[in-house]
Amino acid sequence: MKTLRMLAALITIIVALSGRALSEDQCLTCHAGLGDKESQGYAHDIHKAKGISCAGCHGGNAQADDMDKGMDKAAGFMGVPHGDDISKACASCHSSPEKMKSFGSNLPTNQWEMLQTSVHAKLSTNGNEHIAQCITCHGVHGIVSVKDPRSPVYPLNVVKTCAQCHSNASFMRDYNPAMPVDQVEKYRTSVHGTLNAKGDPKTAECASCHGSHDIRAAKDAKSRVYGVNIPATCSGCHSDAERMKEYKIPTDQFAKFSRSVHGAALLQKHDLGAPACNDCHGNHGAAPPGVESVSKVCGTCHALNADLFSASPHKKAFDDRKLPECETCHGNHEIVAATDKLLGVSNDAVCSKCHRPDENPKGYAVAKTMKSLIDSLETASDTAASIVNDAEQKGMEVSEARFKLRDAHQARLQSRTAVHSFDEQKFRDVVSGGIAVAAVVAKEGKTAVDEYYFRRWGLGIATLIISLVLVSLYFTIRRIERRQAEK
Amino acid sequence: MVETRNAGGPEQPGKRDFLKYVLSGGLVALVGSILYPILAYLKPPIQAEVAVSSVKAGKVDAMEKDSGQIVKFGSKPVILIKTANDELRAFSATCTHLDCTVQYKKEMGLIWCACHNGKYDLNGRNVSGPPPRPLDEYRVTVQGGEIMISKKS
Amino acid sequence: MNGRMKKAYDWVDERVHLEDLVKFMGKKYVPVHRHSIWYYFGGVSLFLFIIQVLTGILLLLYYKSGEELAFESIGYIMSKVQFGWLIRSIHSWAANLFILSSMVHMFSVYFEKSYRKPREITWLTGMLMFFLALAFGFSGYLLPWNELAYFATKVGTDIAGVVPIIGKPMMQFLRSGEEVSGATLSRFFGFHVAVFPGIFTVLLGIHLVLVQRQGMSEPIGMELHEGKPLKTMPFFPNFLLRDLLLWLIVLNLLAILAVFFPWELGKKADAFASAPAGIKPEWYFLFMFQTLKYIPGKMLFIDGEVFGIMIFGLAGLLWMLVPFWDLKSSRGQQNRLVNYLGLFAVFYIIILTIVGWLL
Repeated sequence: MKTLRMLAALITIIVALSGRALSEDQCLTCHAGLGDKESQGYAHDIHKAKGISCAGCHGGNAQADDMDKGMDKAAGFMGVPHGDDISKACASCHSSPEKMKSFGSNLPTNQWEMLQTSVHAKLSTNGNEHIAQCITCHGVHGIVSVKDPRSPVYPLNVVKTCAQCHSNASFMRDYNPAMPVDQVEKYRTSVHGTLNAKGDPKTAECASCHGSHDIRAAKDAKSRVYGVNIPATCSGCHSDAERMKEYKIPTDQFAKFSRSVHGAALLQKHDLGAPACNDCHGNHGAAPPGVESVSKVCGTCHALNADLFSASPHKKAFDDRKLPECETCHGNHEIVAATDKLLGVSNDAVCSKCHRPDENPKGYAVAKTMKSLIDSLETASDTAASIVNDAEQKGMEVSEARFKLRDAHQARLQSRTAVHSFDEQKFRDVVSGGIAVAAVVAKEGKTAVDEYYFRRWGLGIATLIISLVLVSLYFTIRRIERRQAEK
Repeated sequence: MVETRNAGGPEQPGKRDFLKYVLSGGLVALVGSILYPILAYLKPPIQAEVAVSSVKAGKVDAMEKDSGQIVKFGSKPVILIKTANDELRAFSATCTHLDCTVQYKKEMGLIWCACHNGKYDLNGRNVSGPPPRPLDEYRVTVQGGEIMISKKS
Repeated sequence: MNGRMKKAYDWVDERVHLEDLVKFMGKKYVPVHRHSIWYYFGGVSLFLFIIQVLTGILLLLYYKSGEELAFESIGYIMSKVQFGWLIRSIHSWAANLFILSSMVHMFSVYFEKSYRKPREITWLTGMLMFFLALAFGFSGYLLPWNELAYFATKVGTDIAGVVPIIGKPMMQFLRSGEEVSGATLSRFFGFHVAVFPGIFTVLLGIHLVLVQRQGMSEPIGMELHEGKPLKTMPFFPNFLLRDLLLWLIVLNLLAILAVFFPWELGKKADAFASAPAGIKPEWYFLFMFQTLKYIPGKMLFIDGEVFGIMIFGLAGLLWMLVPFWDLKSSRGQQNRLVNYLGLFAVFYIIILTIVGWLL
């Protein structure tokens, strides 16, 4: 028996020297005999397949058949690693390109480094370890490749893995009490979540949007789900025509969004008030808004417009015809800044798409009237502004008129909102208020311009009179002196 | 008067008269053109008094609790708010979204812009709607019961 | 003169003896020579002063002193009151022209040595009026309570505060406190519309009475022209009508300046704002301001600024007292030293003003 063991040890040494580990792992042999969970799990672990013994992580001497020798602290045995020691043990190989190469692996070697930047690298409640270790997500004693459906980080399993902590309200409360814990619930209502539940590994799960090792808080500007970065994150899949082929949905949303007024505000001006994909589609519960809910979705920001629309006759007409509310006139991903051109019955206008003179003369007439009203307000306001500018350039004091001009500007903006009531009288009230202000401003500006010319004419006349007096005075003096000389 | 006395002479009566008429006519016109602006100046203007100073916003007591008012600050509007806790605050009343003039909404306890439903809290922070930036704050001081609004330096 | 006018004249004459005055005026002659032109600047200054009084009274009808209202009331005058822009611009322009013509008048009197005996008092009152004119300018500049005025006053009173011993209390007196504030404005307003005009009127009265009593001075060495006495012209009406001619030209000039270059109001003063770049005093203080910049920090064991102020004070005093130390002129002899000093002063002021203006 002893000689047999000696022989085994000898073979192990020879094999070890030749660079390949084929020998019996004495730890495993023994622990398997005990029938514990760890050794059973390790049986199909990818690390075992690569010939890594228990001692690879736990230290000690795997070749020693003697328990005391094998688990000798002097030989580096550490027992069950705790806290950061776990991840450090993983990193001792996974962060070393040479070692990974020696196992024939071409996995990246920066996971540990990336984990340091993540929100999970913050200290845990006990204050001496990171919140998440490698094994928290990847499991232990049975680790398999991420492509293996048994892996806890396989696309179909990720949701469950993350949910272990993130759906646990009492756990999350310790770290971020304000953070919701219903993401999974919402996710399951989303298009992504239902497909994922049906076993489609290609649809988005947690890591698709949040990243894996380097997950950052959503308010972190470097996060994939930070407002400004969301369109790029979503478009990672949704602009991939090959990937989207089987779902039969368009892939131009990102391109269109980038050209839209929202896209310009968000992506160019980094205005976080502007909506990203998730603000209309939802994030965890992502799905396209329903036809009848569009105005509610847009109304979260464009509240006045939405309220007016919902109270207008268009609401019922649109719902009956299954027309998506705001979208019918404004479009969806490629919404450009709304101009007065949208209103009216010209070719650019949207009203005449439904309200044709022959079929729907009343609506047609209202659209025409509203357009002419808004045009007259624009003309009145522009005219007033140019008169004020003219007066200002002439050096006249028109700060009061300029102050009032703000009201005309405001009336224009409000009229654009009032359009959504589709009520001619309401609209007319706003517009005529603005036109009245513009008229007052124009009058004040014109008075100032007239005053400018009045001053010059007045000066001319006064100069003329003074010159006349000067000349006649000159001749009078000359005559007086001539008379004095004659005397 | 004086020169006409001296201008009397036997020779060239026609020329004398002409010069006399031109000079006295010119003097009358000159006096008129000096007096006209002065008399017009003395006429009380339509707006009887100098406008309330850009920085003076009336008496503290005259303002109700939980109310707001727009005060003209130079050529810009400023919103002055007296909160429910009797605190005075002033902000630029120009909405940071599209330059509409904001107002105090008592029932919301917020500053509200009628154009696009932008909302600001009573610290001027944009809390809802399209406004991209908070409202600029102005300094409010009370001197002898008078509210004074001035620019924050 | 028709009957009714004669009657009215007689009525007055009977009571105040106008006849004496008319006789006196009729006897008064003005010498005619190649420097006669300078005689007119006294009259122009007088005319501008009258304009200042009239427009000043008009402005008083609408101007409101005080930190909160001064700026606004000027804005109100400029935009709401009919011809308010004209009255205010003329007041501002005439103020500058008044100082300019007073300067010309002063230098012409100086170079012609007209201050010599017996006209010492005329010179002294004239010099005092000139200093008052500068004080008018300095106090009036603050009244619109705009940014430039605020900082100019701050700097100006700061300089006054540098003077040893009396400087600090003087600065506090001028500012009515430690800082330029609404209290300073009230104080300057009081000086500008009540104190200075009162003193000025007394001085002007003495000045004019003396000019009429003593007549125009003749330049030294010109009393005889080729053996004959100097040509003269009657003060009334010949000289007075010429005066009138010039006044009308000045009036027209003022109207043109007011219409084409209306005096600006600028921004309202804000004690908490930082001083705007390139702050400068009015042009007539510029040469002194510029000089103080060039004086090194230490001069002869005293502070450079103090040294500069003392030099200017001393120079001003010497200048004012010229009739008392230039005894040669009083004896009717040429005094070249006075000429050289005067030329130096003229060139110094012109060059430093230009330098200060351009830099």
